[in-house]
Amino acid sequence: MTYLPTSDHDELRAVVRELAEERIAPRAAEIDEKAEFPEDLRQLLAQQDLLGTCFDERYGGTALDTLAQTILVEEIARADATTSLIPIVQKLGALPIILAGTDEQKDRYFPRLASGEWLIAFGLTEAAAGSDVASNRMRAVRDGDEYVFNGSKRFITHGSVANVLTVFAITDAEAGGRKGMSAFIVEADSPGFAAPRVEHKMGIRGSPTAELTFDDVRVPAANRLGEEGEGFKIAMETLDRSRLGIAAQAVGIAQGAIDAAVSYAADRQQFGQRVADFQGIQWMLADMASQTEAARQLTYAAAARVDADVPDLPYWTSSAKLVAGDTAMRVTTDAVQVLGGYGYITEYPVERMMRDAKITQLYEGTQQIQRLIVARQLLQRAGVAKRGS
Amino acid sequence: MKIVVCIKQVPATGADKRYTDEMRLDRVGVEAIINPLDEYAIEQALRLLDAGTADSVTYLSMGPDQASEALRRALAMGGHDAVLITDTALAGADEWTTAKVLAAALDKLAPDVALMGMASDDARGSLVPGAVAAMRDVPLLSYGSELTLADGEARVRRLSATGFDWIAAPLPVVATVTDQVGEPRYASLKGIMAAKRKPLETWSLSDLDLSPDSLHGAALTMVTATRAPEEKPPTERIENVPAPEAAVKIADWLEQRKLI
Amino acid sequence: MSNDILFLAEFSAGKAARSALELATGAAELASQSGGSAVALAYGAGAASGAAALGAHGAARAIVLGDEDQPAITYAPAAVAAARDGGLAVLAPATPNGRDLAAALVGSLDLPAFGPVRAARVVDGVLESEQATLQGSVITTARPAEGAPSPSVVLVLANTFTPAEGGSGSAEVSQAPEAGESALSRAAVAERHEADAKVVNLEEATVIVAGGRGVGGEDGFGPLRELAEALGGAVGASRAAADAGWIPYQLQIGQTGKVVKPSLYIGAGISGAIQHRVGMQTAEHVIAVNRDPDAPIGEFADLFVVGDLFQIIPALTEEIRRRKTASGGQG
Repeated sequence: MTYLPTSDHDELRAVVRELAEERIAPRAAEIDEKAEFPEDLRQLLAQQDLLGTCFDERYGGTALDTLAQTILVEEIARADATTSLIPIVQKLGALPIILAGTDEQKDRYFPRLASGEWLIAFGLTEAAAGSDVASNRMRAVRDGDEYVFNGSKRFITHGSVANVLTVFAITDAEAGGRKGMSAFIVEADSPGFAAPRVEHKMGIRGSPTAELTFDDVRVPAANRLGEEGEGFKIAMETLDRSRLGIAAQAVGIAQGAIDAAVSYAADRQQFGQRVADFQGIQWMLADMASQTEAARQLTYAAAARVDADVPDLPYWTSSAKLVAGDTAMRVTTDAVQVLGGYGYITEYPVERMMRDAKITQLYEGTQQIQRLIVARQLLQRAGVAKRGS
Repeated sequence: MKIVVCIKQVPATGADKRYTDEMRLDRVGVEAIINPLDEYAIEQALRLLDAGTADSVTYLSMGPDQASEALRRALAMGGHDAVLITDTALAGADEWTTAKVLAAALDKLAPDVALMGMASDDARGSLVPGAVAAMRDVPLLSYGSELTLADGEARVRRLSATGFDWIAAPLPVVATVTDQVGEPRYASLKGIMAAKRKPLETWSLSDLDLSPDSLHGAALTMVTATRAPEEKPPTERIENVPAPEAAVKIADWLEQRKLI
Repeated sequence: MSNDILFLAEFSAGKAARSALELATGAAELASQSGGSAVALAYGAGAASGAAALGAHGAARAIVLGDEDQPAITYAPAAVAAARDGGLAVLAPATPNGRDLAAALVGSLDLPAFGPVRAARVVDGVLESEQATLQGSVITTARPAEGAPSPSVVLVLANTFTPAEGGSGSAEVSQAPEAGESALSRAAVAERHEADAKVVNLEEATVIVAGGRGVGGEDGFGPLRELAEALGGAVGASRAAADAGWIPYQLQIGQTGKVVKPSLYIGAGISGAIQHRVGMQTAEHVIAVNRDPDAPIGEFADLFVVGDLFQIIPALTEEIRRRKTASGGQG
């Protein structure tokens, strides 16, 4: 297996970069300041066939390999982290269906998702169940050939703009979270479903992070994914793959910060010379660049392994997300430092990049959860894993 | 209605460009793009295709092998197929030679409209369209901000000194359009993937029944020297003074030069 | 005769275009170097009656290609017939019409083409010319290749030649030779539309005040109009302002708009991208007013004023009016 980008990958990168530089980057500051979902950019991405890359061609998608999807996210994130969430979450929300859906379910939803006409979101997290997924409380009670949902979800990215969501709920309260959770496809215009509020956040401010309420929402049994009780497994398998999107996002954010810092340092003069010519600054920039490259290459290696469907996939994707997220935070903080006072004001993009970077250490599994996953994989390999893990 | 769009691959603005020892423009090895003004011609052709007025769009380019990249990018925006004319004898070709070669290729492709952009970014010549029209004995409709086709006739909307005119000619024509056509579309991902499968033919001079001799050894003109431009006197600057004071200084400057 | 220097002389609404006068002067200069005569190829409304006066600027003869207000390209067959009689060079203005006719000559007679040139001279019996290429970073000198046909077709930038004042000659006027049937004459004006607002022909203006993105809106052009009025000039704009709908496209200066050659050009709120520069680079004196001290226009302006155009332009207008009044309203 090779994960060296091919000329096709390079061409994709060039095309997305042009689009990102001409149409997305100029909007980034406004999106952040107004905290508005960039509907215009969603339409642009849809038009350019960039929201269908994880869907099969028979649904109107372009079925790009995971490395290409990673590069796509990376290039958009370099321009704007908020906008990069559009393709990221489109895949995140669809993955449960990709992994566990029937052909009939895919036929029903994938065409509109691949074209970007519909957005999809992933409804797992609850107010009292973040890292501790198993303590989810939302109930889905069987009634004839429907399930009735009651409860709420929190911190759902795009929850207020999605047309359809994959939602996880407890169908067997006695069995507990791990064995009694099921996955469903819920359409947003279902009566009783609402997205009453969105959070005010430190970063990715243009991405609506919604609270969702389900008040006797009726969902057809035909919308259940897999068997009852398989929800937890589907959720974990989804996250094993989707967290790579966050790794790609983090790499992109870091690269954007490096580019801004280098450009500034090459222009700005102090003490009679360019800031870029001071050895101390050069050391900072070198550390930023080499660490970002390491994160990038690990992300690409993980991407190749997703397509190779290796048995220790979580080891790779969690390592990538762990390293990339921490790198993005460090690099963006250093970028602000390189710009000095100008790095702190909103006229320059690096303060936004630093605020945006933080989320990559938190969502789709905190860095602490990622460490648990990597450790568990290590112990399994060494044959010394704890019983039942 | 068949449209052939003639495009040129040029060095990207800002890429390092230079003349070689043989006094030729060094094109190989620099980042290359579709001549920006040709993108408007592509966009105009594709709009006519979208509207159903045209039913085929072919791209034509003369250049080194690398120029096939520009043709693939054009195909990624839309259109059906492409032709690249490439031949070692064409190195250093000037405008007349380019026109001669394109005219021969267009006679072979026989479109209703041969569409081109206004000028090329690097050498800034804009005589190729008119020369092609003269060589083929076909009407020229130039500098259009819009092109329409109907009833065996083509029309371009051209800005005049004080308004605009519609200029018409019977088909077939050579037409050129300006950037007022509107923003060229981006190539979509599906477009890029489809472009790889669209036919791209390569023709040499012999395919056009042209011999290098008939092209005067590929150029009627020759560059005999190159030099750096004259040192321009440094720009005078007025800054960090209040507006009324600046105004006085500017007015003094104008008076010194007898402009007021 | 084969040493003659031909030049395109465009007429519209009965008057010779400035380019016609410039090229007459240039052709006369070159003809004195080559030992031939300057010969005008006159076309457009008023060419028949106005051609003789080109003699005052150095034309020995004038051939009238046509006298109607038709697209310039329709005069190409007549120009080709006239050029067939021979000559060292044909000078054409680097304008859309000039280029169309030059291109037709090149294509019909397989002639070598040069330009747009900023200098020309006759050397060793051929026309040698200089042109700026690679965005002005290199000046190339070129001449026809060995054995290339005559005449050379030379596109000439505005302001390369300065019209000589007060000559007294009269050119000998004749009709163009019979031109064969040619498809190039089959273009015709199908509809004419005058702009709603009165717009000035920028290509002839000697003073232009141009606004760009920094002007911020339609109203922002008010102060620029006042300044233009005080200077007796016209208002122009960059493409950004035209695209934004702040002024009509007829006033757009640039590679894809009007190419202007004023003796004074004042650019306010214009960054100076190459596409705009190409449209005004032959202006004799360039003043730029911009808030951004690093704007590219600062590199090729003669005078760069850093500041708020909405303060500086009105202040300048007032100062100019003050001086005019003080000097008795002259100038």
